[in-house]
Amino acid sequence: MALNLIRKFAAASGLLFAFSAAVSAQTLVFTAIPDEDETKLVERFRGIADYLSENLEVDVRYIPVKSYAAAVSAFRNNQVQLAWFGGLSGVQARSLVPGSQAIAQGVEDKAFYSHIIAHESTGLNEMDELSDELRGKTFTFGSKGSTSGRLIPEYYIREAFSEAPEDVFSRVGFSGNHTRTLRLVEAGTYDVGAINFSVWDKETKAGNVDQDAVKVIWTTPSYPNYQWSIRGDADERFGEGFTDRVQKALLNMKDKELLNSFPRSGFIPVSNDAYKPIEVVGKQIGIID
Amino acid sequence: MFSSPTVRVSFLFLGIALVALLFADIAITAANPWKDLGRFFLGVVTPDFFSSEGVAVALLRTVAFAFVGVALGSLCGFALSLVYRNPIVRTFCAFIRAIHELFWALIFLQFFGFHPLTGVLAIAIPYSGIFAKVYSEILEEADPVPGRLLPPGTSTISRFLYTRIPDCWVQLRTYTAYRLECGLRSSAILGFVGLPTLGFFLESAFSQGHYSEAGAMLILFYVVIATMPLWVRPRLLPIYVLGAPFFLGEGLPIVWGNVERFFTQDIVPSPIRNGEGFSGLLTWLNDVMVTEALPGIWNTLVLTQIALVATGIIALLAFPLISAHFGGPVRRTGGHIFLVVVRSTPEYILAYILLQLWGPSMLPAVIALALHNGGIIGHLIGRQTSAIRLRPDAPIGFNRYTYELVPRVYRSFLAFLFYRWEIIMRETAILGILGIYTLGFYVDSAIQNIQFDRAMILIVITALLNIGIDVLGRFIRRKLALQTMPTC
Amino acid sequence: MSGFDLTGLTASFGGERVIGPLSLSVKKGEKVALVGRSGAGKSTLISLIHQQVGRASSLVPQDLGLVNALPVFHNVFMGQLDAHSAWYNTLTLIRPFAKDSNAVRGLLKDLSMPEKIWMPTASLSGGQRQRVAIARALFRHSNLLLADEPVSALDGPMAHLVMKTLSGRFDTSVIAMHDVELALKYCTRIVGIQDGQIALDEASERLTPADISPLY
Repeated sequence: MALNLIRKFAAASGLLFAFSAAVSAQTLVFTAIPDEDETKLVERFRGIADYLSENLEVDVRYIPVKSYAAAVSAFRNNQVQLAWFGGLSGVQARSLVPGSQAIAQGVEDKAFYSHIIAHESTGLNEMDELSDELRGKTFTFGSKGSTSGRLIPEYYIREAFSEAPEDVFSRVGFSGNHTRTLRLVEAGTYDVGAINFSVWDKETKAGNVDQDAVKVIWTTPSYPNYQWSIRGDADERFGEGFTDRVQKALLNMKDKELLNSFPRSGFIPVSNDAYKPIEVVGKQIGIID
Repeated sequence: MFSSPTVRVSFLFLGIALVALLFADIAITAANPWKDLGRFFLGVVTPDFFSSEGVAVALLRTVAFAFVGVALGSLCGFALSLVYRNPIVRTFCAFIRAIHELFWALIFLQFFGFHPLTGVLAIAIPYSGIFAKVYSEILEEADPVPGRLLPPGTSTISRFLYTRIPDCWVQLRTYTAYRLECGLRSSAILGFVGLPTLGFFLESAFSQGHYSEAGAMLILFYVVIATMPLWVRPRLLPIYVLGAPFFLGEGLPIVWGNVERFFTQDIVPSPIRNGEGFSGLLTWLNDVMVTEALPGIWNTLVLTQIALVATGIIALLAFPLISAHFGGPVRRTGGHIFLVVVRSTPEYILAYILLQLWGPSMLPAVIALALHNGGIIGHLIGRQTSAIRLRPDAPIGFNRYTYELVPRVYRSFLAFLFYRWEIIMRETAILGILGIYTLGFYVDSAIQNIQFDRAMILIVITALLNIGIDVLGRFIRRKLALQTMPTC
Repeated sequence: MSGFDLTGLTASFGGERVIGPLSLSVKKGEKVALVGRSGAGKSTLISLIHQQVGRASSLVPQDLGLVNALPVFHNVFMGQLDAHSAWYNTLTLIRPFAKDSNAVRGLLKDLSMPEKIWMPTASLSGGQRQRVAIARALFRHSNLLLADEPVSALDGPMAHLVMKTLSGRFDTSVIAMHDVELALKYCTRIVGIQDGQIALDEASERLTPADISPLY
């Protein structure tokens, strides 16, 4: 209990001092896409910062951002050197920073999938294929830059209906993140929404989902998603072999509590090429030029 | 009554708004809008001041960004106001003030990142444009006679310092103080895009349903604004202005290479960057116009016209709350508190709150714009009516309202309303970031997709639209011979 | 009610007494002229009386209290606002009823300005504005008139016309005025005010202009 309190305080003050403390050249700054509630992100990544700083023997600092694009920009502008990106934001970020690499993904990210969830008032049931029953409903994506909350669901909606989501649904919104998508569909503000399976499972397991109000009606085929990406000039800045050390530290992460906060069962190596399919889909939809 | 041009213009705008309503997306989509609203108000009346250690620092940062931004803006604005007659300066100022603070912040975020300079410039640049215009208007109204009576050969500077400044000093000071209050609001909402001000924490608390925490932040913000006359003293100002830069936080260091890259690559239209030539550029521009700019312009116009009329209605309903011609001191104090609250809450925050509670549609935006702007105009009109001396046998109650007060203040009411037309449109565009399909939505989408070339085109279109409305508003005010002193 | 009997009238400005204590009793049918030097307290006395007798009277204040943005018709119609429902008044604001506009036009004809009925009040001359305020008082149809210099901006013949109309339409009146000749001609009783006190109170038939001049 007391420990928990102390940790919470540390998390909150970390957020503050992120802006006030000077960031020296020897500080590894990292960020993450804001795909869930902020307090959860801050708690999770404070833990990661401590873990990395122990293993890498440099100062490691986490910077919270308000949007996916802000995470990409910070990575591109070299204000952060390491980031936990989604599939799409990773592709965007790495295409903007020559030499940057995807170094580790979660075990679950190799074959990730998204759910389409619906409020009970719609009367929608589990379906094998996205069907015309969905037409005219209101629909919310997660963030505009999200892979699992926007890109992949949009891709399959376009494939099933041969139309843009705005034409299929009576109203299309962007909730901002997965937790909020869940809350909005649960409350009936939107009839239907797209959410990644990992947040859905975690919230269900934690008992935070009203099973009578909202249920999964469809699941996408699998695709590669979240990964840690590091800038190409990290070795130059932090010393030879630094990228490898970061990768090793991530792969060796065994702390159950840390891993559960993602939630991932562990991290495995990955390369840029694994995300080719995401790039192709992004170009098709027009999110990537 | 229809013979009066002011009445005719009013009905014309009312008609436009009614037609716009047919095209507008007005709905409450939340399943339980009143329950959530109730929970929010419960949160406001049970504020939790100690839940987040960040709030005090966030308030300090909010004040610091406002001071530095407004001080810089007023200095640059004053310098610009001296050469404001120059058409190039005039156009430049119109352009920089037509772009909203949040858009400026989104631009600077792309190359300065989370450095304090991003927030300072996001406030200082548009404010310079506004200050330049208003200062020059104030200076022009100074009595020219003393200047003519000076001995020949008096230097321009002495002439200016002796005859212009003293005559306008009070007005300049009042306006600048007023702008500082606006600066606090601007500073607060910058947090919504990631700067360390109040909006940052407010957004987090709100999106997670921590209403008591959000309520505490709002209350503290109102207190800071309402107590401004107590702590913003002329003698303390230099201390604040010199001290504020030290409380902006350090953020992350600027990498100057990013600035060059932004201007030489990022905002260059992608067909040119990729060497697709002129025809490629045309296709690209056509695509931006058809899929983003035109729907954005249409929605922005529809929402602006509805919000403008709703603002007028709220202002006319609200001014009796503080008018000395109605009710006793208790009711009037209540009215003052209500108006302070609605006009101190930035439209952006009001709209954000209502969108969270009612679900996405134009309705929350209309209500937010109408409450905030209607609160400001209602306050100004109410104060004006209190200065009117009625005949001893003047009618009372509703007849007093319709026959004695509204006809007397209607012209200045319209003047304020048309003055705020452009401001309402600027805010309407920015509310798109929250998910309403106005221009801001498409700007935000372009930025989320890392397509800064598109974002810049859309921001420039937004600015041109604002300038157009500004010109039209001024034309109507001149046509109806409406005069007003500038407001926020 | 049209007469009144008031005692203990006093008024102070900034701690200095400007009126009274004085008593004034006016019987039904009396037409009283308040005369005296400017600053003697005539206006103050008029407003004191108005406070006491209230809405039963028709008032013409010195500063007229016109709403410049409204046309002449509405300014005149305002004399009867309390006689109608809020709906009726609001509709009238948008589109007047023929009954009212005819009545108002008739009044304006008596004051020889019927053609101004739809003009914005702001565009009128000082004399015309004064007649609009008088028309408003007439339109009120009460029996008691309280007027403060109602003809000060009117030329000779017009002043006579207005005074005649007023004394014809109102049973009882208290009119503050500085024109002694008009006072003697149209009023039945002259009350002279000096330093906040009644210095003269006499039927007008028993007075000549010379009797009044010491007050000035």
